[in-house]
Amino acid sequence: MSAPADHTLKPRTLWASGLTLAVLAAAAAALVFTAPIDDTQGVIQKILYVHVPCAFSAYLGFAITAVAGALYLWRNDEIFDRVAAAAAEVGVLFCTLMILSGPIWAKGTWGHWWAWDPRLTVTLLLWFVYLAYLLLRSFTEGSARTARFAAVYGILGLFVVPLNYFAIELFGGAAMHPENLERGSLGAGMRWPFAMAVVAGIAAFVHLLLLRVDLGARRAAAELSAREGEFAD
Amino acid sequence: MNVLLAILWKDLLVEWRSRERVVAMLIFSLLVVVVFHFALPGGATAQTRDTAPGLLWVAYVFAALLGLGRAFTLELENDALSALALVPADRGWVFLGKGAANLVILAVVQAVTAAVFGLVFAIDLASIALPLAGVVALGSLGLCSVGTLFAAVAARTRFREVMLPLLLLPLLIPVLSGAVRATSVLLTTGELPFEPVQLLLVTDAAYLVVSFLCFEYVLDE
Repeated sequence: MSAPADHTLKPRTLWASGLTLAVLAAAAAALVFTAPIDDTQGVIQKILYVHVPCAFSAYLGFAITAVAGALYLWRNDEIFDRVAAAAAEVGVLFCTLMILSGPIWAKGTWGHWWAWDPRLTVTLLLWFVYLAYLLLRSFTEGSARTARFAAVYGILGLFVVPLNYFAIELFGGAAMHPENLERGSLGAGMRWPFAMAVVAGIAAFVHLLLLRVDLGARRAAAELSAREGEFAD
Repeated sequence: MNVLLAILWKDLLVEWRSRERVVAMLIFSLLVVVVFHFALPGGATAQTRDTAPGLLWVAYVFAALLGLGRAFTLELENDALSALALVPADRGWVFLGKGAANLVILAVVQAVTAAVFGLVFAIDLASIALPLAGVVALGSLGLCSVGTLFAAVAARTRFREVMLPLLLLPLLIPVLSGAVRATSVLLTTGELPFEPVQLLLVTDAAYLVVSFLCFEYVLDE
């Protein structure tokens, strides 16, 4: 009989959680106190500091899911599957936050909740793809089979992004989003609070990802020890 | 190549003897057409002409989902799927065989549905039958390639009937938008538009290659 699973958090994890919370608090303070109020949009423009970091984290999560899935199929190492599953879960979380914060901003600025803008539509489809990814994981039995099925779907999910872009461009959807951030779409004094918000968003993403990977490893270890216990009995 | 032909022949023979799948798909897609008649205010009008390509493709996709779901649940009986996995060749050929059979069965359903659709909505499809068949073939190729791959996945999950549409529909957006746009331009001008056909060709090629390569991991028992 192996030792029971360790449920306590390591001091290192607690330190990392504290640090992440501190960075998030600093970013929140920066966007409340130092970020300027936009001349035309007013205070609602401050949603930018939440919306865009969430978008970056979500895209990062989906990209990691696809790459880790491909690495799993190639190397057949369980760690890649754990990373893929964790990145999909955290990516869906950030994508949900982005999809919730976007319409609030749109309603306040443009007067309608939703527009079938190309970037919005592709993001919505990605959200559906990775929600289906998580459902597929929970509805498949057997860890190796789950990992293989999920890896294939994760790869195709990312693969569909350029195709969807092309398809939506073809329909000529009006773009609400700026093409990129370098072209001066950020007003004076917004750069530093924005940079801080992005750093905080990515820090939160990485921290949650690592916690989720650790949780996956603990679950696998607990299942293994339970199985060993059955054999011993 | 022999594996492809053998599986295609086997699937078509099974279908010919039972005719279960094609009949179910056909009745279902005709029912969808009838439902559209009641869902649209006013029945067949000039407005229907604008929405007709979209309605036709929705009927096709629904019928395809029904047929694709059946393609691999059939193989679960007597564990025939494990036998397929033991084929002494690249498993990609199994994928192509199953996909080709799905494509043929879907084509039969599509032809009959289109004829009925044209009749009840008073749309002249006969004059553009050949280019329309080309567009439908391109759309169905994309549909059946990822469809066959994820039908094999969904067949071995819980809630497989629910899982297949959830997995497939987000991936079918490029296929669907290209096919609907091409059909729509074809209906109004009588000519094949370049851009939607290009989108269909690129999507088909991409889906076919990736599905061919990934099928190995889906059938790996």
